[in-house]
Amino acid sequence: MEQSHKVHHKPSAGTKHAKKDAAKGVDRSGGKGFNPKAFTNTSFRAADRAARRTAEKDQKRLHVPLVNRNPEERKVTSAKGQGMDEGKLPPPPIIVGIVGPPGVGKSTLLRSLVRRFTKHNLNSPQGPITVVSGKTRRITFIECGNDLNSMIDLGKVVDLVLLMIDGSFGFEMETFEFLNILQSHGFPKVIGLLTHLDLIKKASTLKDTKKRLKHRFWTEIYQGAKLFSLSGVLNGRYPDTEINLLSRFISVMKFRPLVFRNQHPYLLIDRLQDMTSRQLIQENKKLDRTITLYGYLRGPNLPPRNAKIHIPGAGDLEVKSVERLSDPCPLPTLESERRRKMGEKAKLIHAPMSDVGGVMYDKDAVYINVPGSFSKGGDAPQGEGEKMVMDLQDANKTFADGIQNSEIRLFGHSTAPLEHTQQRVRRAAAPRSGGPMLGGTDDDDDDEEEYGSDEDEEDYEDVDGEGIVDGLNEESDQEGDVRYAESDSENDDLEFATGFQQEGKIVNIEDEDFDDEENDDIEDGSDEDEDVPQWKKNLSDKAATSFAERMGRRRDLMSLIYGSELSPAEIGAGKTRPSSADAESSRMAQDDLFQVSREENKGDEGDQLKVPVDLEALKTRWDDEEMLDSIREMFISGPIGEVDAEGNPYEEDGEGFEDIEDGSDNGGDDEQGDGVPYVGVKPSASDHESARAQAAAKKQAALKAKFDEQYDDDSDEEGGKMDFYDQQKSEMAKQKQLNEDEFEGLDIDTRAQIEGYRSGMYVRLEINDVPCELVEHFNPKIPIIVGGLLAAEERFGYITVRIKRHRWFTRTLKTNNPIIFSLGWRRFQSLPIYHLDDHSIRNRFLKYTPEHMHCYATFYGPVSQPNTGFCCFNSLSEGASGFRISATGVVLDIDRSTKIVKKLKLTGVPYKIFKNTAFIKDMFNSALEVAKFEGANIKTVSGIRGQVKKAQGKPDGAFRATFEDKILMRDIVFLRAWYSIEPKKLYNPVCSLLLADSEEWQGMRLTGQIRRDEGIKTPLDINSAYKPIERTTRRFNTLKVPKKLEASLPYASKTKNLAPQKKQTYLQSRAVILSEEDKKAVSLLQQIQSLKKDKISRRKEKQEERRKEYRKKIGIVDEKKQDKLKEERRERFKKEGLKRKRDEAAAEGKYGKKRTR
Amino acid sequence: MTTQAGPSRDILRFTTHRHLRQRILLSILSGKSIRVDGIRSDDVQVGLRDYEINLLRLAEKVTNGSTIEISVTGTSFLFHPGLLPGGNYTHTCHIGRSIGYYLELLIPLAPFCKKPFEINLYGVTGEEGRDMSVDMIRTVTLPHLHLFGVTDGLELQIKKRGSAPLGGGQAVFKCPVVRTLKTIQFLEKGKIKKIRGVAYSTRVSPQFANRMVESARSILNRYIPDIYLITDVYKGEDSGKSPGYGLTLVSQSTTSSIHSSETLSIPNPDKPQTPEEIALNATRLLLEEIKEGGCIDSKHQWLISLLMALGKEDVSKVKMGPLTSHTIQFYRDMLSFFGTKYKLVEDKKTGEVDVSCIGIGYSNVNKSMA
Repeated sequence: MEQSHKVHHKPSAGTKHAKKDAAKGVDRSGGKGFNPKAFTNTSFRAADRAARRTAEKDQKRLHVPLVNRNPEERKVTSAKGQGMDEGKLPPPPIIVGIVGPPGVGKSTLLRSLVRRFTKHNLNSPQGPITVVSGKTRRITFIECGNDLNSMIDLGKVVDLVLLMIDGSFGFEMETFEFLNILQSHGFPKVIGLLTHLDLIKKASTLKDTKKRLKHRFWTEIYQGAKLFSLSGVLNGRYPDTEINLLSRFISVMKFRPLVFRNQHPYLLIDRLQDMTSRQLIQENKKLDRTITLYGYLRGPNLPPRNAKIHIPGAGDLEVKSVERLSDPCPLPTLESERRRKMGEKAKLIHAPMSDVGGVMYDKDAVYINVPGSFSKGGDAPQGEGEKMVMDLQDANKTFADGIQNSEIRLFGHSTAPLEHTQQRVRRAAAPRSGGPMLGGTDDDDDDEEEYGSDEDEEDYEDVDGEGIVDGLNEESDQEGDVRYAESDSENDDLEFATGFQQEGKIVNIEDEDFDDEENDDIEDGSDEDEDVPQWKKNLSDKAATSFAERMGRRRDLMSLIYGSELSPAEIGAGKTRPSSADAESSRMAQDDLFQVSREENKGDEGDQLKVPVDLEALKTRWDDEEMLDSIREMFISGPIGEVDAEGNPYEEDGEGFEDIEDGSDNGGDDEQGDGVPYVGVKPSASDHESARAQAAAKKQAALKAKFDEQYDDDSDEEGGKMDFYDQQKSEMAKQKQLNEDEFEGLDIDTRAQIEGYRSGMYVRLEINDVPCELVEHFNPKIPIIVGGLLAAEERFGYITVRIKRHRWFTRTLKTNNPIIFSLGWRRFQSLPIYHLDDHSIRNRFLKYTPEHMHCYATFYGPVSQPNTGFCCFNSLSEGASGFRISATGVVLDIDRSTKIVKKLKLTGVPYKIFKNTAFIKDMFNSALEVAKFEGANIKTVSGIRGQVKKAQGKPDGAFRATFEDKILMRDIVFLRAWYSIEPKKLYNPVCSLLLADSEEWQGMRLTGQIRRDEGIKTPLDINSAYKPIERTTRRFNTLKVPKKLEASLPYASKTKNLAPQKKQTYLQSRAVILSEEDKKAVSLLQQIQSLKKDKISRRKEKQEERRKEYRKKIGIVDEKKQDKLKEERRERFKKEGLKRKRDEAAAEGKYGKKRTR
Repeated sequence: MTTQAGPSRDILRFTTHRHLRQRILLSILSGKSIRVDGIRSDDVQVGLRDYEINLLRLAEKVTNGSTIEISVTGTSFLFHPGLLPGGNYTHTCHIGRSIGYYLELLIPLAPFCKKPFEINLYGVTGEEGRDMSVDMIRTVTLPHLHLFGVTDGLELQIKKRGSAPLGGGQAVFKCPVVRTLKTIQFLEKGKIKKIRGVAYSTRVSPQFANRMVESARSILNRYIPDIYLITDVYKGEDSGKSPGYGLTLVSQSTTSSIHSSETLSIPNPDKPQTPEEIALNATRLLLEEIKEGGCIDSKHQWLISLLMALGKEDVSKVKMGPLTSHTIQFYRDMLSFFGTKYKLVEDKKTGEVDVSCIGIGYSNVNKSMA
């Protein structure tokens, strides 16, 4: 046969083709091909279909627009160095979690990725590792251990998950558990990674495995989810090409904001330091510690004061102080970006818990690793002695203090690490505004500290000056004195306002200044009060000057309100400094001992909106014509001070323009009434012209805007036609811009005070009263997360959720069995009551969760917002077999009380029956109880309905009842009632971070489990025991009808004697003798019968033969099937054995390092 | 262990009876407990007044799970706030203060209830000099709430009027619930395009209302033609137990910024006021209010500021007139309850203040799903 060659295709693109086109004179500049018809639809139908398809695609693209609370990423344009907005805060690094079962190659991947981005070889990567991945993006990698606690916590903060799957083994339960956790807390992006594929030798098996795993992965994430495969390990890393590809995917990935993270600020902690003094710790080992946590802030702004946070695994805490630090891993600057490629210097890494560059920050020390000596991780063969030294390194951390291990330690126990921030004595950043205080204990301390002596003040200054870490650019030097100022000119004045005293010349000068103003003010006031005639002399002038004076006075409202002791009335009246007596008294007010009697403490005033007005003054003021005219411009019919978008329907061209100039020339004098037309100075001609032009342009723009608004013109992009979606998006963009711009001009500290600390900042949180176990059992391999709490989330209440038992969880869930919730940031154990809506009338208690159906659950716990997702676990320990997620659901409702009811049936028995009335006993215990149930509906077993009437004197609790019919003595009477139940108040946070081994956490146990653990037998009530049921057959007496009655009955009603006849009938008793013919006939019949029988038996025999053959055939097939099954089973066991062997080998360190926790 | 099971232990402490309502209000909204000490400890009549106790009762009534402990002398009390269930309530207000006193507490709470809020309040509908009258709340406060997206079903019905001192009025306040408040930017005050007003009279000659309208018009007519002042005369049962009359004026601008003023008759004064005087005073107050500028009414600065802070984590910005002392104290209390600081930029020329703040991301946790 002749070999067929691939047909040559003429090039349809490229230079050659272009040349040919040019020669032919073909113009393809339309973008598409030469044939314009080729891209139109041939038929109406096709056009319709195409249109529908594009419309569908358009709709599919749409998602609910969500605000991204993190700053935008930088835009890098193709032009070199363009589009870099240096001054702006970059977004925080994206968190990439590496998740997978042990031995799957997580650390190897982490090492490979870090090596790819930074050219660093990490020996033991631990904790979050932040690297700069490009000009616009930083990435924090973190490896997630196999314990459920870490998986839950990390699942709440990661932006991207690298889900590692052992290709040679397949999916493991933890993987599915992790995916389900992600699902309930907001799904981040997931990339799958198949490893250990080199263990599969056969190409076809490899292909099949990949395909199978891919499809399984897709059902879990979405169709077409990204799944990489990594082939074998080279030099302890994955092949560079594969890692390159992966890293490219990571660095360009886009993320959609998740609702929960958009509402709560959070940090992934990359460094923890214990700030407690060593001496105190030595005195009391269990002392509550003061710690500092470092990390990049994410999500919305973190409140600057007393932010409430939750550290999953440690509990609710309050941040004592927040400080912004210089970015330890900044993006490349504009300078380095002149080049196309990112410079090597810009490829930074920040991994305080790992041993980057041989330096490692521990919780209380800095370690410097000198390579070459007995460092771990090398594959060099180990001698016996060497091995012993290695083993010494594995010693517990707490031991490390005592043991001189191979790492050289620079600092002793007592000295703090290189961090200079530790020595500082920190105080609250802003002086308190008096009045309220948090907590009751520290009143007196506050008084002494606040606004105290000069010493204190100096101290404060120093602290602040230093407080800004060197990286915080130019603002740092201002920091010392600027508090709430907007501009430098106000600084000095401010010192006053805030109540701080300073020595030095400047202050004195200012002081004089101040007094002058004060005097002016007083004069002013007196004028207003007494000198009415003077008032009237030149009112417009006076108004202008008084206004200018009042406002020209240099005062800053914010510092007055938040930073001074002035009373509100004083600030309102325009004072800037407290009269000494007032200040004194307000200070004293804090002190219970020296309560000074004040007016404040008397009378009814002080809680009203309206302020008393001096009616006389008001009258004289507004009786004046000029005064009345002065506000004319505030009205629509008045003269036009300025043209705004709203326009002015009454304006006439000429007049309008003149007014505009007045406004612009006199710098806003118009507000005081000087801008009344024809009163002000006429402008020069040239001014006039330009102003006229300007005004005309303005007017035209306004008109156009109005027109666009009215007629929905789609020519303009602003006021043009936008669908709802685009409108929402543009509104969000506008708001976001405003959020960024509003506080732009303020200095860093004031800005933080107003809006809090923003996402993307690297901050240091100082936290007091942290349980010592958090520090003692600190393990860099377990992520620490700080989650901010909203105002409502510190409260506790009953939470109603919609819950569904997970279909992979094998057991049903029982009411009041403790269950661990992962809700919001928290993990806690609580006792839910399951219930179901009963015809929208009541919430009915359920003992067990229904199968394959949602039900409600109510439990006591910390409030979280409705619509928050959660998942539940019965146990978090690794020992638990099977799928550990027991239920998932969503929060519906928060309340302080519940309305769950349980059916309660009260039973009683009649002791006396009249016609429709019966007396019932044994239902209640007292007459009082009966009284409560008077009028209640009751029912007998047979369905006769009745009502409770009145209590009877004897026996106790008996009552009279009426029924719709006569009841029987043996009837039981029921009263159906509803008994309301409340969930038990258990909130038991899972404090996994406070334990040396997070697995050993034990919550509340079930009764059964306690019995099992303690070896207690289940108490057996004798009445609860099952006994064989004996049912005696009921015997009824025969019905005897009196003879007299019988006789008078009609025939139909007469009793019939139905007993069988005992005597033989005539037909039975006679003898039959057959005739000859009959005999013949009988014998013939018999013959026919026997022939038929024979025929059937032979047919059966034949059939049996055929069946035998068939069975034989089936048997062979079956045998083959069995063989195949056996083969498969053998294969499976073999694989499992291999896996087990590998695990064991891994445990011995054959496969490199593995998690030992 | 710092993990706590149970309500937050933080208690905010305050002294004196001043600004009592806003502290109760903020306590309920923030969920922080408060303790107020030294209430009129220096007064002849020591301790909480009857109307304040009535207010505390009301606060307990509209919340679920609140506890109030008042000391024996009445000079201090402890308040643990509960959640807001909403629904229908009836409350008889103490006649020491008008219904406005109580409504000012309820209005900011109502949108954050679980179910739509409705309350029937009995008492004095208007009182000169201290609290807003029901007319003002209806025509000024409620439109201010509209700005934040609290609109459908928000209403205040004045069923009966009852002047001070004996009252006998009835007002029904209805409010829908919201999940989150809208973020607002309100910087254009516009120009005043219309003035509306209500002149009411109870148990006096109906002519009083007409006289008030006449004299108010005598000043206002010079500005704009679009003035409608209605007379609202209640008779018989609906007019309460005491004679009284008053005028409420509202001006609205092209950007629907609202300014208002009101003057009511004083019961048993030394020198009786004529309706003309009352109307002129109200008019002058309105002009004063307009002159002070800002996009919102000065008596509502606190309300707007509060609702701005309770929004999403976005920046709200509003131009206000010069801050009143009530507002200033309110800002200080906001700092201690919510940790919110406002950025205040004073316009040196006009005295107007640009108030901006970032919302705390407050959302109605009480509102249930589905």
